[in-house]
Amino acid sequence: MTVHESSPSTNAPDTSRLPLMRLSQVGKTFQMGEVSVEVLRDIELSVLEREFLVMVGPSGSGKTTLLNIMGGMDLASVGQVWFRDRDLMRFSPRDLTRFRRDSIGFVFQFYNLVPNLTARENVLVSTEISQNPLDVDETLDLVGLADRMNHFPSQLSGGEQQRVAIARAIAKNPELLLCDEPTGALDFETGKMVLRLLVDVRERLGKTIILITHNSAIGQIADRVVHLRSGQIQGIDVNASPQQPEEITW
Amino acid sequence: MVNVLDRKLWREVRHSGGLLVAIVSLIAVGVMCFIYMRSAYHNLEIAQREYYQQNRMADFWVDLKKVPLAELDRVAQIAGVTEIRPRIQFFATVDLEQVAAPLNGLVLSLPDRQQHVINDIVLRRGGYFSGRRDNEVIVNDAFARHHRIQPGDWIHLLLNNRRQELFVVGTAISCEFVYLVGPGAISPDPEHFGVFYLKKTFAEEVFNFSGAANQIVGLLAPEAKVHPDETLRRIEGMLEPYGVSTTTPRDQQASHRFLSDEIRGLGVFSRIMPAIFLAVAALVLNVLMTRLIDQQRTIIGSLKAIGYEDSQIFWHFARFSMAIGLMGGLVGLGLGYGMAGFVTQLYRMFYEFPRLDNQVYPGTYVSGVLISITCALVGCLHGARAALRLRPAEAMRPRPPSPGGVIWLERLSALWRRCSFGWRLALRNLVRQRVRTAVGVFAAAMGTALLVCGFMLGGALEYLITFQFEHIMRSDMDLSFHDERSVAALHEARRLPAVDAAEPVFDVGCTFVNGSRRKRGVITGLVSDARLTTPRDQQGRAIRIPDVGLAMSRTLATLLDLQVGQPVLVEPIKGSREPLRMPIIEISDSYIGTAVYANLAYLSQVRGEEFAASGVQLAVHPAATQRKALFRELKRLPALKAVNVRADVIQNMQMIVETQRIFVYLLAIFAGVIFFCSLLNMSLIGLAERQREVATLRVLGYSPWVIGGLFLRESFVITCLGTLLGMPLGYSLSMLLAVLYDTEMFRFPVLAPPDVWLRTIVLAATFALLAHAATQRSILKLDWLDQSKTRE
Repeated sequence: MTVHESSPSTNAPDTSRLPLMRLSQVGKTFQMGEVSVEVLRDIELSVLEREFLVMVGPSGSGKTTLLNIMGGMDLASVGQVWFRDRDLMRFSPRDLTRFRRDSIGFVFQFYNLVPNLTARENVLVSTEISQNPLDVDETLDLVGLADRMNHFPSQLSGGEQQRVAIARAIAKNPELLLCDEPTGALDFETGKMVLRLLVDVRERLGKTIILITHNSAIGQIADRVVHLRSGQIQGIDVNASPQQPEEITW
Repeated sequence: MVNVLDRKLWREVRHSGGLLVAIVSLIAVGVMCFIYMRSAYHNLEIAQREYYQQNRMADFWVDLKKVPLAELDRVAQIAGVTEIRPRIQFFATVDLEQVAAPLNGLVLSLPDRQQHVINDIVLRRGGYFSGRRDNEVIVNDAFARHHRIQPGDWIHLLLNNRRQELFVVGTAISCEFVYLVGPGAISPDPEHFGVFYLKKTFAEEVFNFSGAANQIVGLLAPEAKVHPDETLRRIEGMLEPYGVSTTTPRDQQASHRFLSDEIRGLGVFSRIMPAIFLAVAALVLNVLMTRLIDQQRTIIGSLKAIGYEDSQIFWHFARFSMAIGLMGGLVGLGLGYGMAGFVTQLYRMFYEFPRLDNQVYPGTYVSGVLISITCALVGCLHGARAALRLRPAEAMRPRPPSPGGVIWLERLSALWRRCSFGWRLALRNLVRQRVRTAVGVFAAAMGTALLVCGFMLGGALEYLITFQFEHIMRSDMDLSFHDERSVAALHEARRLPAVDAAEPVFDVGCTFVNGSRRKRGVITGLVSDARLTTPRDQQGRAIRIPDVGLAMSRTLATLLDLQVGQPVLVEPIKGSREPLRMPIIEISDSYIGTAVYANLAYLSQVRGEEFAASGVQLAVHPAATQRKALFRELKRLPALKAVNVRADVIQNMQMIVETQRIFVYLLAIFAGVIFFCSLLNMSLIGLAERQREVATLRVLGYSPWVIGGLFLRESFVITCLGTLLGMPLGYSLSMLLAVLYDTEMFRFPVLAPPDVWLRTIVLAATFALLAHAATQRSILKLDWLDQSKTRE
């Protein structure tokens, strides 16, 4: 059953888990030639440790921009973005790089694998720069690609490529996994397999996962669902008992 | 650093295919030019330096009539003079049985027993003089090789009016004759001119020079070497009573000057040519890297998202460029070494060194690689900087369509309306991709400039021969006498067999003085209606020899800062040395030497003589039998110092032209590499960027040939613009090279007959079509169905 919270600003944190990330009054404006476009406005959000958060919204709702700001890939125009007790807005480009390196794992809609590297090497790309990486082979085993690790991206299916991308994201052992439409380019069955993998990763490795999607059905597997529209949070749903990926359909 | 990125790098390098080959070729050719020219430069320079040092090359030569050896002690005492060697030198006629024509020789004395003298010889075959006979001779090796003269053979020379039989003990080379040219010649002619070394005692006896000499060679102290003029003036002053005719410091000595001019020219070339190639390579690489980085936007974004630092990503791309630079550099080193060997081999044909080896110069080779890597790095800077500026989130987003809109050409509506769809597409692309178009045009312009330059230089040499030996010097044979002769000598010459016409020549060696400027030269006296020597102006029109005053070559007039109407002070170096003031009446033009002409009667008169001739020019009947009879007679004439046959001189010059032609062909090949590689790069990059566009056109029903036509239009415009710009650039480059190579002895005419332009255009079009053929092939091979599905 789902509990709908009354207003976006009262998404009270669960006291049993500490907040990992907190956004306050965050806004983002893009300058397009002579026109300013406000993509995000007054975002208030807390993300808890080991939480599985899904942000749902149509195209142009600002979810990718929000994800980029949370992952230190872009800076907000206004507001504060706290990761534990550190304000990302005060980070230098070098600090942001270090933050992404140590604390964030990204999974992209189109996988963004390096075509010239094998599956295993694509994972190595991230472990080589991280301080406390997981074992590459074990990680590939975890995502079910132990026997495909020496294949190049062009030799892998979309689902397999996305699993490599997930392996790449988790192998450097980040605290927060950010997934940008990870099932967007996949068919229904493969998409569900990827979601299963993400749920497993959260359970087995205790990672926090934020997933953005335009597919509201995916929200059913999350602890909370953030609804975005026109750059604002419309509401946050709390799932008292999230469903298993296999149980959902779209 | 990061291993796995290195692997990515290596695979990218391997998969870059045609683009990689093209860019590596450009760099390799640049480095090859640098290596081979610098190596050839060092090879010659080192060979010269070592040879001079080992064989004690003289710092000065003083020619005089006759000086008792006892008088020379005082010369050796002059401050700045460290050592002198007196010797006997005469020109002689060489009579070889197997050769019909009389040959020219320079006879020099050497100590009877081998000593490490100034201008020492290096024996190549046989040995030094023995004690067994007086009439032993050592022959210069090139002459001996040419006529198959071996130690143990007997040869005949006309020495002091007597035919002497000489026993060849050895063959040798000498540091003062590295580039051995006969009097008045500009190219070595081992077939017709040789040097013959006689024992000092034998030379004294034959020439009646007991205890005397007519040439002093000497060495100067280091400080006097820098400015030898003062020291040489004191020597001249001291030897004045003994009839000093010429004093030659080392930098005026013929062999040294030819060799040093060549070394200097190589030094100039080795800076200009590689710079052109490497500049083009850096620019093309810049376009390539910008494209590559643009193509890898999302990969760069992903790497940044994962946590890679900007510097790591920058170095990743920088290393890609460096890898290309290194490859180009290494290929260039190999090719450069080979070319240096080939060129050094060519130099061995003209320059006689004890050793002229193609060596490896670590400094040059390391510089070559460093230059290529630097050039590649510079080429990548622009693109790599763009990668750094990208924010990860920005890099993730699909690239916004490049700004479109109306291009300036469209405002010329009358013109634009006439353009077909294909032309409009091509023109829009060219204008929107300004940088790439500019680089393409620049590369094509450079390629064209090199072609024009090559063709112009090649044509210039042929023109030079025609101008000099068909328009100015038209005699078939020139005879020069040991001493000045009266009009009787002319009559005698006219009576020789096969002689159709004979004209006297009176050469007066002198120093021209204008204020502080002094130049040594010769005034050639010609009869007023001379037909066998015709001075010409810049347009090739014949100049009338003035009755009074001089017709001076433009080069000498420029050197002396003289103009028509101004007087010049002439100090004769023989006979009465009373300075004479003569007006400049005409300026003549030629490409060889610094000739000055005067009326023979006028010249004789100012010299206080009624008629004097130092030689005769002949027009000779072409029939071989008659010529043979003439040669037989000439071999017997004792008064002859030298016989120069025009056909032989031209043949020798042709050999130089043939050698130069090799360099011209090489230049054309290099230009082709620039043209082909840069155009291919541009086209392939354009194609790679527009694969989706090509795919869409295919879906719409365009054939690959029609699509190829769109690309062909673009390269057509680039080639046309580049060629149009390159042609005047090539002309200017030729002018620059002509100026840089301009020496008193030799000048390149800057000529551009229509065939230069025609050949350039044809070759430019050929290179462009070849490059397009490769692009068309890629279009034919493109998997357009797949491309049309691929997302951006």
